[in-house]
Amino acid sequence: MLWFKAWLETRWRFAFIAGTMLFAWAAPLWAPLFHLRTPPGVSDSRLWMAVHLASIFLYIFAAIYLAGSGINSQTTYSATSGFHPSMLFTLSLPVSRRRLLFVRAGLGALQTGILVAIMAAYTVFQRPGGTTAPQFLVYLARAMVCTMVVYALSTLLACLLDEMWQFYSGFLCCIAAFVLQFRVSLVSWLSPLRGMSLISYPIGGPVPWAPVISSLLLTAGLMYASMLIVQRKEY
Amino acid sequence: MNQAAIETHGLSKSFGDIAALRGLELNVPRGSIYGFLGRNGAGKTTTIKLLLGMLRPDAGRFSLFGEAVDSEASSVAARRRIGFVSEGKELYNFMTVGQMIKFTRPFFPGWRRELEEKYLELFRLPRAKSLPKLSKGMCTQLMLLLAMARGAELLVMDEPTSGLDPAMTEDILQALADLAADEGVSVFFSSHQLAEVEQICDSVCILDEGQVVIDGVLDDLKSQYRRILAVFKSEPPDSLAALPGVDHLRQRGRTASLLAHMDVDAVVERIRELGAISVEVRPVTLKELFLDHVRGE
Repeated sequence: MLWFKAWLETRWRFAFIAGTMLFAWAAPLWAPLFHLRTPPGVSDSRLWMAVHLASIFLYIFAAIYLAGSGINSQTTYSATSGFHPSMLFTLSLPVSRRRLLFVRAGLGALQTGILVAIMAAYTVFQRPGGTTAPQFLVYLARAMVCTMVVYALSTLLACLLDEMWQFYSGFLCCIAAFVLQFRVSLVSWLSPLRGMSLISYPIGGPVPWAPVISSLLLTAGLMYASMLIVQRKEY
Repeated sequence: MNQAAIETHGLSKSFGDIAALRGLELNVPRGSIYGFLGRNGAGKTTTIKLLLGMLRPDAGRFSLFGEAVDSEASSVAARRRIGFVSEGKELYNFMTVGQMIKFTRPFFPGWRRELEEKYLELFRLPRAKSLPKLSKGMCTQLMLLLAMARGAELLVMDEPTSGLDPAMTEDILQALADLAADEGVSVFFSSHQLAEVEQICDSVCILDEGQVVIDGVLDDLKSQYRRILAVFKSEPPDSLAALPGVDHLRQRGRTASLLAHMDVDAVVERIRELGAISVEVRPVTLKELFLDHVRGE
């Protein structure tokens, strides 16, 4: 039943992001209505890179938004309370906090994964010149793995902060990672954003194993830290 | 079967510099309706949160039904036997009454469908109604239903009647009393509504600044304690407060008001010896006991 509850409390977030993606998908339908055309001199390839970058933004947005308020069941924007009062009911149930986090974070990760897969498919199959199935799978795996770092970071932040602050700080961390990758070579080498090919062409080249592996390790570390925080937190 | 429903030893909890509980000693008899009284900030909610595993004690230990609760696993096991009504009475606003029941039921293998139906009917709760549309009283009733139908052996109530109208309060108190009488459920009733506690509780504990100041069976306490009003020709002597058996003394002009326990007759005799021209002995109410102990006069 925890899955049922997690679904009920996240379904509108999921629908919102899916709607946003559908809106992007439907661009060929609505773009002519606004007389949107490709500027002269811009190649299809550059245009596709813009679609790819917009997809990355959507992956990040989905990961931060769907991590929501962690095990806190409902949003609270109160300046004083750190959690919604219904949390007391949740915590009084005979369920370990680890399981609460596992279900809530698990469902959010699943939803994020589904949305990333849909958006990745759309992005890849828009690519001029076509894409092979293995190329798509590599692109998808990289997008998934690297998005999950953002998701795990957002989950950790949700364990520490109110949802509003979790949302802002999640984006701030991503912006910081983006800026630092141009200044600190180690960050550049390991950054999940590089794993998503934020600044390189994402299909056909060699797989950037360093950021992919660092993303996997970071995700595991962040989720483990979230679990420790939830287990030790006092409500 | 003789173990206490709740037993705490030296339970302490601080938040920064503020000591919320200071060596709390509690013994809640199984099957009793136990009134847990105290002013705001006395440590009532902190105690409840410790019992439910939402907070961890700084020191001390506690057990529920004789089983020590000292780990997450033991806390989870204990929570299977506890029904809880929180002060805020907030549930999941994205659910209906029916969904809330459907959600809660599987966590409790001893869920009792007949009680679920009984309280749905008694409280007139429509299954299809969404929670944001329920009045505060109906939310309380739903929380009570969820607490009672799970087959809990202990109900922990944190200000269950706050914000309710008198009729609703009466219904809820009656339901609690019936459940305790019919099912032998222990009720830990935290409140500062003294009249309600006096109405349904058989034992009480008064908490002040994180410590128990009075604890016992309500009728015994009422019979042990007496209010003694003594009038003197002039100012009452200072030695009154030091008399054995006198708990609290208040003076106003030539009149002294004493709260006494243990051998009240001997206390009256000593007051007369100290020059009282008139001495009157009255039974005490729970309110008097409460006020005398928490005001610290």
